[in-house]
Amino acid sequence: MGLGTGMTVHPMTLLAIISMACATFLTRATGYMVLGNRELSPRMREVLDAAPGCVLISVIAPHFVSGHPADLLAMALTILAAMRFSLLPTVIIGIASAGILRAIF
Amino acid sequence: MIHKSPDNAIPTVGRSSDALRGLRNAVPIMIGFVPFALVLGAQASAKGFTLAEVPLLTGLNFAGGSEFAAIGLWTSPPHLLLLVGVTLLVNSRHVLMGAALAPYLRRFSRHRALVMLAFMCDETWALALADAKKRKTVGIEPALSLGYYAGVSAGLYLTWVIFTGLGAALGPILGDVTRYGFDMAFPAVFLVLLRGMWAGFRRSRPWLVSLVVAGLTYLLIPGAWYVPAGALSGIVSAWVWARA
Repeated sequence: MGLGTGMTVHPMTLLAIISMACATFLTRATGYMVLGNRELSPRMREVLDAAPGCVLISVIAPHFVSGHPADLLAMALTILAAMRFSLLPTVIIGIASAGILRAIF
Repeated sequence: MIHKSPDNAIPTVGRSSDALRGLRNAVPIMIGFVPFALVLGAQASAKGFTLAEVPLLTGLNFAGGSEFAAIGLWTSPPHLLLLVGVTLLVNSRHVLMGAALAPYLRRFSRHRALVMLAFMCDETWALALADAKKRKTVGIEPALSLGYYAGVSAGLYLTWVIFTGLGAALGPILGDVTRYGFDMAFPAVFLVLLRGMWAGFRRSRPWLVSLVVAGLTYLLIPGAWYVPAGALSGIVSAWVWARA
């Protein structure tokens, strides 16, 4: 890839990035603008605490229901790694186990 | 990501020394950002992001969780509504954080407060709030130091944007080497993020609901609907369980 193509910004990608940035700014400003003088109910607090995890686990849910035994086994190993290790070792274990197990099965 | 502040000194008053103090406190977090940033940049380039588009995303959005989610769901052309919806959901915790910071922001102009909030990430928020509480107990005014906040923000922001860009530049080289298991990097990153959010089984039950609903939706309905279906059912279950 030359520098020319590397510096390209696709209009649809730019639109998506700006839309995301606006959505993110909205979440940052809302607490201050709307809820600043009010107390957030404990219930709302619990819901907001749980929400990011619900989204993250939904995004990776297909990996939990894969039809390939090698992928399921690699996923199980990656979960074990994530419980014990920091990011980089976990990523390496995930990639290596998926690569090796797919080659075997 | 939870990081312990290494600096236990009494918070100072001057703005420039406050900024240096903030930058110093941010260093361990900056180091922690580097692997995440490299992985994000490499994955974005694998999804077709150019070298210019990656720092544009991470510089304008500056919220890692939503950026990982967006890259994971990225299609060409991108599905705007899905990306915005997922971004709102992943970053919904900012509402809570902004509300907690609001009492300390009242003494700044609205414009300045909004600029500060534009740079608020989990770590900046945690450090700034801890510092403000410390200064309040020793009676330093204002409790929330603009210099300290700016120092922490500058360190974290620049680290994130520069190293995601570097990851994008190195991505094509790394891509071929790791192609066969490379897709497993995503769940690996997310699982580590989830472990960081883990607050006991009871609090995490909505995650299980999300996982089951998203998994079933993925198997039964084509497209990326499994994300909003899983996320929303988990959030509804959190709402219901919170009453009990």
